[in-house]
Amino acid sequence: MRTRETWNPYLAGVALGLVLLSAYLVAGNGLGATALPKRLLALLGNGLAPEWTRANPMLGGYVAEGASPLRNWMVFEVLGVMLGGFLGALTGGRLQVKVEKGPRVSVRARLIFALVGGIVMGFAAALARGCTSGQALSGGAVLATGSWVFMLMVFAGGYATAWFVRRQWT
Amino acid sequence: MSTPLFPLAFGSEDWRLLSGLPVGFLFGFVLERGGFGNARRLAAQFYLRDMTVFKVMFTAILTAMMGLFGLEAAGLVDRSHLWINPTFLPAQAVGGFLLGVGFILSGLCPGTAVVSMASGRLDALVALLGIVVGIAGFAVGVDLFPSLEALYQAGTGQVSLLPDALGVPPLVLGLAILGVAVLAFLGAEKVETRFQGHGSPVEGTPSPRPRAEFAVAAALGAAGVLALVAARPPSPPPPPAVEPVAPLELAEALIRREAGLLILDLRGESAETERVPGAHPVRREEAAGLLAQIPAGSTVVIYDGDAAPTEVPPDWPRLLRYRGLQGGWEGWKREVLTPMPASHFSLEEQGRVARQNQISAYFSGASPAPPAAATAPPPAVITGGATPKKKGGGC
Repeated sequence: MRTRETWNPYLAGVALGLVLLSAYLVAGNGLGATALPKRLLALLGNGLAPEWTRANPMLGGYVAEGASPLRNWMVFEVLGVMLGGFLGALTGGRLQVKVEKGPRVSVRARLIFALVGGIVMGFAAALARGCTSGQALSGGAVLATGSWVFMLMVFAGGYATAWFVRRQWT
Repeated sequence: MSTPLFPLAFGSEDWRLLSGLPVGFLFGFVLERGGFGNARRLAAQFYLRDMTVFKVMFTAILTAMMGLFGLEAAGLVDRSHLWINPTFLPAQAVGGFLLGVGFILSGLCPGTAVVSMASGRLDALVALLGIVVGIAGFAVGVDLFPSLEALYQAGTGQVSLLPDALGVPPLVLGLAILGVAVLAFLGAEKVETRFQGHGSPVEGTPSPRPRAEFAVAAALGAAGVLALVAARPPSPPPPPAVEPVAPLELAEALIRREAGLLILDLRGESAETERVPGAHPVRREEAAGLLAQIPAGSTVVIYDGDAAPTEVPPDWPRLLRYRGLQGGWEGWKREVLTPMPASHFSLEEQGRVARQNQISAYFSGASPAPPAAATAPPPAVITGGATPKKKGGGC
């Protein structure tokens, strides 16, 4: 299938904003992404070491009072993101099993960068209690102070590091 | 006032949870269509070749922000029922910076990694595995290292909103963000044009049309300003309508000594001396001060020389009921003060005419006895609920 062009960024932004707005209107909270891995880990931790998980400053809240960590709006929402992303890629002619990489970098190096970047992001999203979706986008729209600080720091971190890894992307 | 419609109240928590699926579906679909499923496209943001991330993110934030402002002003959203990220400033600052570092290393952020993985990208799958490892690492680390836990817990943990933190009214801040964003969009277009030649192109990227794109941004900004201005603090309700009242109807009300009735003669002090009994002479421009002292819910009858105003000035209190005497003073004179020759009417109308003449005799002074059961002469000032009193505040 021929690859379709992506939407005009401003129109995509308006659409994304309306989706975010609908999350607040329907569920009373914003969007998220790292909630699913966090809660899966809470589930796993609860199975392996319930005491430790309950006492953990980060995971404890997800299993408090015997609640199931997966019984959460964000969990369903992230499952929806997978479906929506899949269907979007399918209909846009972009569904393709491959490694996305710059021309000057090997597949192996690309995957190592992805893994390391992922680990750093997982740590960061746990520390900041949210990621680009849960903090920057969702908190940004409701003018939450910490979320705006988070967002500016994401761009700061990205630009500060970009020069060092330019070979990967250009 | 009725409770705001949003956020929706679900009959059961299960339904609320399930609503995450369609909302998430749209989130994923829009991200994919925005080009966010491609790590190379996302990474290009940090080399200034493709500012899509910035443009989409800020447009989305502005759209949702303005939507919430507007719906709140319309009384449809109860902000106190929205979950808002609490502020843990040190953790959010450090976490944000690290997330940016991870973003450029992997070319993805957590949400876009999910979309990219769903598009079949193996690098995204690996990044997601890394995210799980990173979260687990933090969970273990925060347990082992008190300093990490101190960083995690530092800050108030309270909801802090930018308008309060900066001491700026929300609407002013919203407009400021909008203005800065439009300028930044303009800058982004320029930067993109300058840098897009560098590096290899990414398949599916729309050919840049800076003018067209900036036009969209400008239109958006303009729409936003309009929306914000239109939504300006709960827009005032329309001015209260003035319902007409027939002279005879008013006469009957006076005879009944109806409480909560105030009559204003808008011809003012110096004009004619004859007035509807109990009417206060006051000029239209000066009535607001007098009306401010009237208890809410009172009825105010207004009249002029030969008509009554059909609408009240904007500064008149809204919680009063306004009625305009049909035909003004002339109408009163014609219908109330002038007796009818009874012989001109049919038998069925005789009763009404007799009553009208009783009223006429009473108000014109021909008969000192008020018709019906009332005994006192027309009161000079209609008292009761409408007595001017000290303003108690509140309305």
